[in-house]
Amino acid sequence: MIHARGVAKHFLTRGARVEALRPVDLDVARGAFVSIIGPSGCGKSTLLRIIAGLETASEGTLTIESAADQRAGFVFQDAVLLPWLSAEENVRFPLDAAGVPRDEGDATARRLLALVGLQGFEKALPRALSGGMRQRVSIARALSYDPPLLLMDEPFGALDLLTRDRLNDELLTIWTATKKTIIFVTHSVEEAAYLSDRVVVMSPRPGSIKKIYDSPLARPRGERTKLDPAFHQLMADLRRDLA
Amino acid sequence: MGRAALRGLTTVLCALAAWQIIVVVFQAPAYLLPSPLVVAQKFSLLAGTGDLGRHVLSTLAEVLAGSLAGAVAGLLCGWLFTRLPVLGRLLSPLILLLQTAPKIAIAPILLLWLGLGLAPKVVLVAIVAFFPVMAGAAAGLAGVDKSYRDLARLLRLSAWTRFRRIDLPFAAPPAFAGLRIASTQAMTAAVVGELMGATYGLGYLLNLGQENNDAGVVIAAILMLCVMGWLLHEGVRLAERRFLGWHESQMAQAQA
Ligand SMILES: Nc1ncnc2c1ncn2[C@@H]1O[C@H](COP(=O)(O)OP(=O)(O)OP(=O)(O)O)[C@@H](O)[C@H]1O
Ligand SMILES: [Mg+2]
Repeated sequence: MIHARGVAKHFLTRGARVEALRPVDLDVARGAFVSIIGPSGCGKSTLLRIIAGLETASEGTLTIESAADQRAGFVFQDAVLLPWLSAEENVRFPLDAAGVPRDEGDATARRLLALVGLQGFEKALPRALSGGMRQRVSIARALSYDPPLLLMDEPFGALDLLTRDRLNDELLTIWTATKKTIIFVTHSVEEAAYLSDRVVVMSPRPGSIKKIYDSPLARPRGERTKLDPAFHQLMADLRRDLA
Repeated sequence: MGRAALRGLTTVLCALAAWQIIVVVFQAPAYLLPSPLVVAQKFSLLAGTGDLGRHVLSTLAEVLAGSLAGAVAGLLCGWLFTRLPVLGRLLSPLILLLQTAPKIAIAPILLLWLGLGLAPKVVLVAIVAFFPVMAGAAAGLAGVDKSYRDLARLLRLSAWTRFRRIDLPFAAPPAFAGLRIASTQAMTAAVVGELMGATYGLGYLLNLGQENNDAGVVIAAILMLCVMGWLLHEGVRLAERRFLGWHESQMAQAQA
């Protein structure tokens, strides 16, 4: 559903030209779970933001097959919740802003909060939630307007490993239930290998795509995946490419 | 009634008693320092004719209308300067110049332009309230994470929706703090305006008392100003708590 051809980006800061992303070719199929991994500063966020429409590419063409009025779902590294709104109101926020009737927005918000495992926390303000819970609210918010494409920029990077593992499993459940196309940026080799159909490895700054792995791992993923030798082989390959 | 209120009341009663004792012990002449009882009599006399009510109302109207106008203008300018930094850079020298001048000094020219009615005082109060609110709003907006801008673009929010649903709530707490700080100055501005020329208001009453050598009237007006200032401060604080509950508790948590 996404075709990028020679997509590149440079920034002009105080006259100096900063190369953020060297030309990238990438295809993402509908319903795929694709991870992007690479060293810090290689342009992962830049690529994701170009796909989201938050930046415009300096070169190349990007085609996204979806209705023009479809907004992409985006999950930031921090939850970026509105601190004065309850969990439910935060999830409903995109719908409210688009003028969706209140009861409809309410029903959607409650359904999605249950999907991310937050039933009972509908009325809680963000400050009363843990980092992991906040990130779940943020995911529910991104799903609220039912985007075909969900872009995630190191969504679990700030969380402890246990929470991260649990949220990874939840994300796979949500992905299976909603049939979204997901592009997932991460620093973690394990996360990329565990979650994805394809893993895109980027080279150091200024980055471009170094290698693309199609995962040999079966679905559904779970504890057994982590015992699979192919999983460890994939992680070893990714580590070697990143080194 | 709360314990704090009871304590406050006790203090006020003790002060009144001390005042009465001083008047009796030192035999202060009534035209310089009338006793609380004499002031109370003056008070009820003024209140009885409806004069006091009219003076209080006009000062109150000036303070409220001016604060509201200044706060709205300050909020909008703070927002505008954050959204259009070029505008902020162009206008900031002018604003700084205006801000460093004692605002009271503008009063005579306002009176010349706008007459002796409410208008010049309202404008003076608005100018006084404007700066702290604008500075607060601008600072509040400058501290907002850039991701919220991305969120607004991602959700394709209109400028108005973004202002109402994101920028305004972020700007409101520091803007309110600015307003709270400005509330004392706003009272001062209204009274100074009235002292310089007015036909109504507590400042006018102060002048009247002075001209008639009537310390009782002067003290009655001062007491009314104290009560009004206190009520105003409390009003802003209550509004803050009502509208910004999330923020106050967040601050409390951050400090804990
Ligand atoms: N708005 C900008 N203005 C100027 N330079 C930028 C801007 N955004 C990104 N860059 C530069 O582009 C390069 C790539 O940045 P990007 O944020 O995409 O990296 P990243 O791979 O996401 O890194 P990290 O893993 O640390 O998040 C960096 O060198 C960065 O300094
Ligand atoms: Mg990044």
